[in-house]
Amino acid sequence: MKKLLLVILCFLLLFTARVFAQNRTVTGTVTAKEDGLPIPGVTVKVRGTGVGTQTNTSGKFSLSAPAGAVLQFSFVGYLTIDISTTGKTVINAVLTQNANQLGEVVVTGALGIKHAEKELGYATADVTPKELTATAATNVANGLTGKVAGLAVYQLDNSIDPTIQIVLRGNRSLEGNNNALIVLDGVPMPSALLSSINPNDIADINILKGAGAAAIYGSEASNGAVLITTKKGAGNKATIIYQNSIQVQKVAFYPKLQTEFGLYGGEPSNNQTTGFANYVPWENQQFGPAFNGQLVPLGVPLDSAGGKQIMVPYTADKVSPIEQFFQAGVTEQNDISYAQGDAKNSIYISAQNAYTTGVVPDDKNIRNAFSVRGHHTDGIFSADYSVGYTRTTINTYIANNNPLGIPGSYVTTAGDNDLYSSVLQLPAFLNLAAYKNPNADAANVSNFYDAYAINPYWIVDNARRNEQRDVLLASLKLSLDPTKWLTVSYHLSDNFGIDQERYTKAEADFTPYSISAAGNDGGTPGDFAQTGKSLGSVYDVYQFGDGTNNNPGYSRIQGDALVDLHPTLSKDFKTDLLLGNSIYQEYEKEQVTGSSALLVPNFYNVNTISGQPVAGEGSLLIRNISFFGDLNVSYKGFLSLEGTLRNEQDSRLAAAERSFSYPSAKLAFVPTDIIPALKNNDILSFAKFYGSLSRVGLINIGPYEIENTYNIAGGFPYGALGGLSANNESYSPTLKPEITTETEIGTELAFLHNRIDLDFSYYNSFDKNQTVTITTSTSTGYNYSLLNIGETQSQGFEFQLTGQVLTQAANNFGWTLGGNLSINNSKVISLLPNINQLYLGDDQYAVVGKPFPMLEGTDFLRDPQGKVIVSPTTGYPSTSSVNKLFGRTTPKNDVGITSSWTYKFVTLGAVFEYRGGDVSYNAIGQTLTFAGSSQYSASNGRQRFIYPNSVIQTAGTNTFVPNTSVAVADGNYGFWQTSPASGVMSPYVTSGAFWQLRELDLTFNLDKFIAQSKFMKGLSVALTGRNLFLWVPKENTYTDPEFSDTGSNSATRGTNDNNELPPTRVFGGSFKVTF
Amino acid sequence: MKKYISIITVFFTIGIAGCKKGYLDQEVNPNSPSVTTPQYTLAGAEVASASIIVNDYPEYGVWAGYWCNANDYVPNPTLADFDISLTNEPNDAWDDLYPNLTNYNNLQTTSAAVAADANFQAIAMIMKAYDFEQLVDNYNNVPYSQAFQPSTILFPSYDSGQAIYADLVKQLDAAITLIGSSSGATNPGTSDVIYGGNMANWQKFANTLKLRLAIRQSNLTANTAQADLASTASIGYIDASSEADCQPGYSQTLGKENPFYVTYGFDQNGNPSFGHLYYEANVVAVNIMKTYNDPRVNYFYAPISGSIIGDQLGATKTNPQAASFIGTGLLQSPGQKAILFASYESDFLQAEAAARGWISGSAAALYNQGITDSFTDLGATGAAAYEAQTSVTYPTAAATGLTLLQTEVQAIITQKYIALNGYFNLEAYNEWRRTGYPHLPQKPASADQGALSATLPTRIPYPYSEYTTNSTNLNKQGTIDPYTALIFWATATNNFTN
Repeated sequence: MKKLLLVILCFLLLFTARVFAQNRTVTGTVTAKEDGLPIPGVTVKVRGTGVGTQTNTSGKFSLSAPAGAVLQFSFVGYLTIDISTTGKTVINAVLTQNANQLGEVVVTGALGIKHAEKELGYATADVTPKELTATAATNVANGLTGKVAGLAVYQLDNSIDPTIQIVLRGNRSLEGNNNALIVLDGVPMPSALLSSINPNDIADINILKGAGAAAIYGSEASNGAVLITTKKGAGNKATIIYQNSIQVQKVAFYPKLQTEFGLYGGEPSNNQTTGFANYVPWENQQFGPAFNGQLVPLGVPLDSAGGKQIMVPYTADKVSPIEQFFQAGVTEQNDISYAQGDAKNSIYISAQNAYTTGVVPDDKNIRNAFSVRGHHTDGIFSADYSVGYTRTTINTYIANNNPLGIPGSYVTTAGDNDLYSSVLQLPAFLNLAAYKNPNADAANVSNFYDAYAINPYWIVDNARRNEQRDVLLASLKLSLDPTKWLTVSYHLSDNFGIDQERYTKAEADFTPYSISAAGNDGGTPGDFAQTGKSLGSVYDVYQFGDGTNNNPGYSRIQGDALVDLHPTLSKDFKTDLLLGNSIYQEYEKEQVTGSSALLVPNFYNVNTISGQPVAGEGSLLIRNISFFGDLNVSYKGFLSLEGTLRNEQDSRLAAAERSFSYPSAKLAFVPTDIIPALKNNDILSFAKFYGSLSRVGLINIGPYEIENTYNIAGGFPYGALGGLSANNESYSPTLKPEITTETEIGTELAFLHNRIDLDFSYYNSFDKNQTVTITTSTSTGYNYSLLNIGETQSQGFEFQLTGQVLTQAANNFGWTLGGNLSINNSKVISLLPNINQLYLGDDQYAVVGKPFPMLEGTDFLRDPQGKVIVSPTTGYPSTSSVNKLFGRTTPKNDVGITSSWTYKFVTLGAVFEYRGGDVSYNAIGQTLTFAGSSQYSASNGRQRFIYPNSVIQTAGTNTFVPNTSVAVADGNYGFWQTSPASGVMSPYVTSGAFWQLRELDLTFNLDKFIAQSKFMKGLSVALTGRNLFLWVPKENTYTDPEFSDTGSNSATRGTNDNNELPPTRVFGGSFKVTF
Repeated sequence: MKKYISIITVFFTIGIAGCKKGYLDQEVNPNSPSVTTPQYTLAGAEVASASIIVNDYPEYGVWAGYWCNANDYVPNPTLADFDISLTNEPNDAWDDLYPNLTNYNNLQTTSAAVAADANFQAIAMIMKAYDFEQLVDNYNNVPYSQAFQPSTILFPSYDSGQAIYADLVKQLDAAITLIGSSSGATNPGTSDVIYGGNMANWQKFANTLKLRLAIRQSNLTANTAQADLASTASIGYIDASSEADCQPGYSQTLGKENPFYVTYGFDQNGNPSFGHLYYEANVVAVNIMKTYNDPRVNYFYAPISGSIIGDQLGATKTNPQAASFIGTGLLQSPGQKAILFASYESDFLQAEAAARGWISGSAAALYNQGITDSFTDLGATGAAAYEAQTSVTYPTAAATGLTLLQTEVQAIITQKYIALNGYFNLEAYNEWRRTGYPHLPQKPASADQGALSATLPTRIPYPYSEYTTNSTNLNKQGTIDPYTALIFWATATNNFTN
């Protein structure tokens, strides 16, 4: 708005200014330092006069100025610079962004409507493309982590295709979606699609933190919104940018493992009470005798009863087999973009290839992205259009936690073997190199030494998931500006994708010897005694939706009709009334076909199988119609009031509950613009105070979840006989949306000529009608019940401080330091009458008066002092019948520290992040202890020991005496595997705290070395690193506490297991050339 | 101005054009039906009932001395060490029976509203009683009167096991009456995969279940179920021609095999399943059958070189792979019927009731009929010779230290114990907890040095799911010691006399 006013003003001035005879014409182009792109609308003034102009849409200006005059270039959000015209008729100015110039920054807010930041009555934060892409993260979300107070990015696993959650201000909903809404150029889209966006296409990311900020986007934005604006074409002369980055990914953190003991798995032929264990050459567990350096047999004789016996030294390898298994992954990205534009037309074209190999052998992720965006103006008519197409192909092993539960290996009687748990069970003395070829003599399915697990390289080679995602994002916006007080526009957008997955598992053929009693030791091949083979399988999943394999992942078509009335009623009042209607439809359809009984080995087609194929389908449809109004009134620029009202009708709700409305009101006050004492103040440059009160409805109900249904009963149909069985979840047509009511206050302050910025905000939100699927006693008739219950509170503080400690201009050395802190307190106020606790899933609960979700689980039986009670005869602890509340699983405190140092053309940037105040359940620890491979399981040298700090209950009384004499009956297999408390959860619950060096980059801006070049406009080279160091409390010997086996939309978090590969660090280099 | 108003109007017209009537009416689930028929519900629920009987109670088979865990597998702490804790639940009976009951309950409710569906309603009532009896026998007090009301009661309180038993008898009486008065009602036909719509057989099923409820309460001084036996005595009881067998069309196809066969036998490719490799003959049952020269031992277990070898539960095994797996009498074919209520169980129940004088009939004849029916079901021969043995013949005089009735009950339960092997482990365990019989030559306890109890568990704890979902009501049941707590019908005084 302000830009427009300036343009008008400038024109007026031009008409009135006197033109001096000795004037001459100066021309030039103004570009941005950050991306080298021309900037339209820059004010160019002859300093000390009223004479000036503005750059056109290609960043060019032409101005008549007196000889020797100094031109001043200014533009909102950029530092103003002065350039002398002495001896020049062509002046090309380069403007540097000034993120600190508060108030003047224009924010692309809800529905693409631009507001000056000082008019906003709610908390926002901005992330520039430079910050976003400093370390060349392939996923936009990874580029945001640690940079914004209140924004938490959770990378839930470390696969070749990781799951990412973006959460603003912690959890509000007990069980529903707490993810921020992602809005790309005004179009809402699923957060999973971020992985399909080329980060280099992004011009700006604006984060609307609270419910109030996003009220206008409707129920989907009740958890805040991340607004992404993509780059537009500009500049009469085309700008071409080419970038390349190559990064290496290596495992940074392994679980702590024991390196002393070999194979034994509780065979009854060993004496269980003394802890003495014989070495068992075919075991999968490591409770055997200590390593002694002698040669021991491994597995049974190969190929026949009298065959070759593999003998290996019984000594731990220098590098554990787990570390031997993981390799270095490589990511290479190549980007090219083309931008050009003039007053009427502009175009931006980009292409990217990102090629990633994983830390697991043969894992690949290839992304090719193309996009075209343009703008056209003709009189009062204008059109914006964009098309983006991304194809991602992923080739990886079949993980057992795949959404369809397709087995990742040949299924044995002992259950499925998945990759990471197979790797975790490898004993320390195993030389893994000998097993890399799963067809090799000792490594093949028949001869593999382990009777109960399978060679992980067999999974890598033979159980594959190939996925191809095609995503199309298209948008067309037509606008009319028939008069100065009215703009009408219609925005039509469509995003959809097709996700095709194929799971293939090879046939495994076993030799007759291996399936005989002597050859299999009762283990895996013996399970196939009858047929001697495990047939191959193929499953095809075809999903029309958002182009991810998320379930649900909807395609979306949306139409927004907007009328923007901005009449000038008085010179002091600026009014803007937006009226709109939004209709969207989301649709997903999925089909699965497959078989686990392929007839021809290595021929993967469901047409050639024995028996019946597996087939299934499902589709989901959501329709939503909304009407809304948004009134902005600003008085002399220092006092702004905004009011919104929205009505929504949604197909997920029953007809009687379908329509709901919610309002919001926001106020912003800028004293530095009106109070004379504060104007032009050397200390306080800018101050804004704001507050808002908003209410948002949130539908956390899936389609059709208002009526009970029936499923095919187990085993049916038998011939023509059909059978149905009630679904295990109970629904009700009376379900309503959740209602969030949020109060927010905050301030934005700038000091010392904008060198220091301080943002502070406080929010307090209450969520009523929580939509929760509670796990019910099956005696209710159902395992689950979907309900509106109770109320929760989420309240917190956010601080964001940025300061230019040293400015490069003044000191040759520039240092910018930023810090952000967010503290989130959540509390369950009420649940159901007389019910203090509800199970939410994943060992997590909602407990009245406590934060949510709370991790709760089994603990040892303890005396009133909390000491573990052990049996006076066996010395074993037992399991308490009362579960322990361990703590919240979402971080309470999140700190980000960003810093950048610049000297001459070199910039060093770093981002640190801390999270804490939460707990994490490392189920992976239980896998490791089962395998006997964890350091914890060897913490007492496998000898009998007195359980530390334990007590014994005096017979028949409630008194407890310290246990000084009763050692555990068996300090080896007996204690770790079969003692009464061996399955207790508490030893594996650790603090979720961590410090992580998220980003480190060393950038060399080589522009000045190529200044003479005709064809190159810019050149920079950088060394980059992400997640280089992870610091966790000593008790956490397992993994990155950010990892979790919960899904991308899950409200629960903080429970990792062997489905998450170990954390990695990424480092490499990049270069960027601008032509 | 008019121009602009018309532009605005046109815009909104475009926007709302999509909002046709019904545009938002998308409640109907296209993926799963929201309606069912009595036929579909009945068929689905009956097949599930049959699966529960065979799948949910292997631990009782181990504790009862039929089976033990095979030597090549690490002992399951719950089985061999009697290590029953919150996280080591012995079985899933609770979480299988209640969902099964949901379907019967829905069937009962919807059929009650349609006069022509009276037969479905009656079968639902009978099968509810059948399932609830299992719940009480597993857990004692369980939710009953407050169950199946998800919209109003999310945390059902528990009813006493005895009160549930009393009401089950009433429900069975009502079901028998309903069948008798509904001659014109729709016949379930093939959707009744147990009796094919033979409603007279359903009356017998209900009547036999009543008898089981009465016999189970033999230790109680006030046994209302016993008093009620006479009212329906004329209906008769299950016999060989009316055995309750589920047969929806089991076959050697993935997911359609007989549940016992696939769990304890072989998969559709003929490969041994986990249960087959995991469970093998227990020396307790093997010895008892050998004592009686019982030819059925070769049907319950698979001979190794012509002989049956049993292992002791939890014992150190010195000769791996030398014990017998489950035999061909139980594992006949993937298409074999699944037994819900065996004729021999009915025979032995009648024999005991006759011995106690609760019903008319010859206890000795019913006893012999039970043995004969068991032989027939297994495909074994030589029942008559077996029955003629002195050690097997129905007792006519009191054994030393016992009354005549005790002697008769001991004989009946011992033969019932042999007959129930594998097929209905829960029932064998129940009868053992009720009577302490059979006297076993070797104590059915664990030889594992890590065993937490010298004697068998007498009750299993409530499932962990109740701790997480219904703890308030659960906690009212007090602490349950698995080694001393008893189901209401079991009494400590006459239990575990060996």
